[in-house]
Amino acid sequence: MPPKIEIRGVSKTYVTGRGGVQALRGTNLKLDAGEFVSIVGPSGCGKSTLLYIVGGFLEADGDVLVEGRRVSGPGTERGVVFQEYALFPWLTVRGNIVYGLDEKAMAGAERDAIVARLIALIGLEGFEDRFPRELSGGMKQRVAIARTLACDPSILLLDEPLGALDAQTREIMQDELLRIWVDTRKTVLMVTHDVNEAVYLSNRICVMSARPGQIVEEFTVNLDRNKTREEIFLSDAFNKVRNEVWLSVRRQALAAAKADAP
Amino acid sequence: MRPERTIAGAAGDAAWRVAPLVMLVALWQAASAAGLLNPAFAPSPRAIALALLDLLTGGEIGRNLLITLFRSFTGLALGAVAGIWLGLMMARSRVFNAYVAPIVGGTYSLPKSALIPLFALWFGIGSTTAICAVFLACLLPMVVNTAHGVTTTPRVLTWSAHALGTRERKMLTRIYLRHALPDIFTGLRIALGFSFVLAISSEMIASTSGIGKLVFMYGENGTYDYMFAAIVCIVIVAFLADRALLAIRRQALRWHESAAEGS
Repeated sequence: MPPKIEIRGVSKTYVTGRGGVQALRGTNLKLDAGEFVSIVGPSGCGKSTLLYIVGGFLEADGDVLVEGRRVSGPGTERGVVFQEYALFPWLTVRGNIVYGLDEKAMAGAERDAIVARLIALIGLEGFEDRFPRELSGGMKQRVAIARTLACDPSILLLDEPLGALDAQTREIMQDELLRIWVDTRKTVLMVTHDVNEAVYLSNRICVMSARPGQIVEEFTVNLDRNKTREEIFLSDAFNKVRNEVWLSVRRQALAAAKADAP
Repeated sequence: MRPERTIAGAAGDAAWRVAPLVMLVALWQAASAAGLLNPAFAPSPRAIALALLDLLTGGEIGRNLLITLFRSFTGLALGAVAGIWLGLMMARSRVFNAYVAPIVGGTYSLPKSALIPLFALWFGIGSTTAICAVFLACLLPMVVNTAHGVTTTPRVLTWSAHALGTRERKMLTRIYLRHALPDIFTGLRIALGFSFVLAISSEMIASTSGIGKLVFMYGENGTYDYMFAAIVCIVIVAFLADRALLAIRRQALRWHESAAEGS
C-alpha cells in the first residue's frame, strides 16, 4: 500500500523582479495514514509553501502523491485550515460550515445533522447565525476547523492554525485538535513555529532548514495521549524530545542568521 | 455605557443636522426682506416656496420628474450591469485587462457631459441621448470599483473555496462577487450621483422634457423662483434616492465591518 502522502523531490522557486528566490529544494517526506506530522523551522524557511503545494494551491517541481495519485490541484480529500481570516466573512457560522456540503449538493436532513454535530463539537451552540466579524479569534478558528471537518477529508493540512490566538485559547484549542485527531484518526500535516505545540500534538516532527528549505532532521514522539496536559508537559519523555527539537530549530535559525549577515 | 437611543433623541440629532441648512435659508430670507438681494436675480426663499407649491399642485413637475427618473435609473441600471461585468472580466482576465485598462484609464477623467452634443447628433433629441450619457458616466465608477473588489480577494478565501470543492466557473458568484460587494456599493453610490447630473445636463442640452429642460426653460424665461423650485425638487429626490441606496447597502452588508459603525 502506498503511503497516505508522499512528497518526492519537491522544489519551488518564486519568480521575483530580480531573478528568483528558492523557497524549497528537493524536499522529501512520507506520511502514513493516521499520522500527525508537524513541520517546524526558522521563519521564512518555506514550511507554509510546502503545505500549500500539498494542498494543490501552488505549482512546484517534483511530485506530491496522495494514496499514490499525483496531486494536480486542490481536492476535498485534503482539508485545509489557515492561520486566520480564511472564513467567508459574508456567511454566518452555519453558512461557513455548510459551504462544502452545499458544493457536494448534499440532501437537507443529512446536511443539518452534520452541521448540528459540528457546532456541538466546537461548542458554538447559539452562535449559528453570527457573522465572523462578531466572533473572537478562538471562535473563528473553531468555525474554520468545523468548516473543514464538514467535508470529512481524510487529510488535514494545518497552516499555523493557532498562531494568532492568545496563550490560554491556544492551549484549549490544542486539546481540541488532539481530541479530534485521536477520535477521527485523520492524517494531519501541520506547520507551526511553536515547538511545544508540535511535540504535544504530533507523533513525528520534521525540522526544516532555512531557505532554501529542506527537511534536515526528524524526531519521533511517543507520548501516552490518554494522559492529561499537565502530566505530559511535566514528563521527562516530553521534555527530552522538546529540548532536542528546540536545539535543532535553533541550530537552523542561527545558521540562517549567519548566512544573512553581511 | 452607551446612552439609550430614544425616538426623541434621534429627532434631536436630525434637528441638529439640518440646523445649518435652516440657518442659511433664514439668512437668505432676511437678506431678501432687507432688500440686499435683487429679487430678479436671486428670489427670496418665500417666493421659491410659493413657486414650489404652485409646481406641486400642477401635474407638470411630476410628469417631468418621472421622465428624468426613468432616464437616470435606466442609464444607471445598464451602466451598473455592464460595469460589474467589465470589472469582473478585467480583474479575472489578464488579456482582457490589457485591452480595456488603457481605455478605462484614458476616459476616466473625461467629463462625460462633453459627449452629450455628440450623442444628440447620433441619437437625436430625447431619452436615448440622455440614457447613453448616464450609462457612460455610471459605467466607469462601476468598472473601477468592481475590479478593485475582485482583485483584492485574499488568496486564502479562493484557496479555501477550492479546497471545499468550488468549481472554477462557480468562483465568480460564490466568492469574487461576494467579496466585491462592498466596493460595488461604493461604485453604485458614485454612479447614482452621476446619473442625476448627466440626466439633467443632457436634458438641458438636448431634450424637450424632463426636470433639466424645465430648469433650463424657467432660467431662459427669467422666472428664477420657479427655476429654484424645480432644482429643490430634484435635490430632494436625489437625496432620497441616496438614502434608499444606503439603506439597501446596510441590509446587504450586515456581515461587513462597516455594519458595526452604526449609520
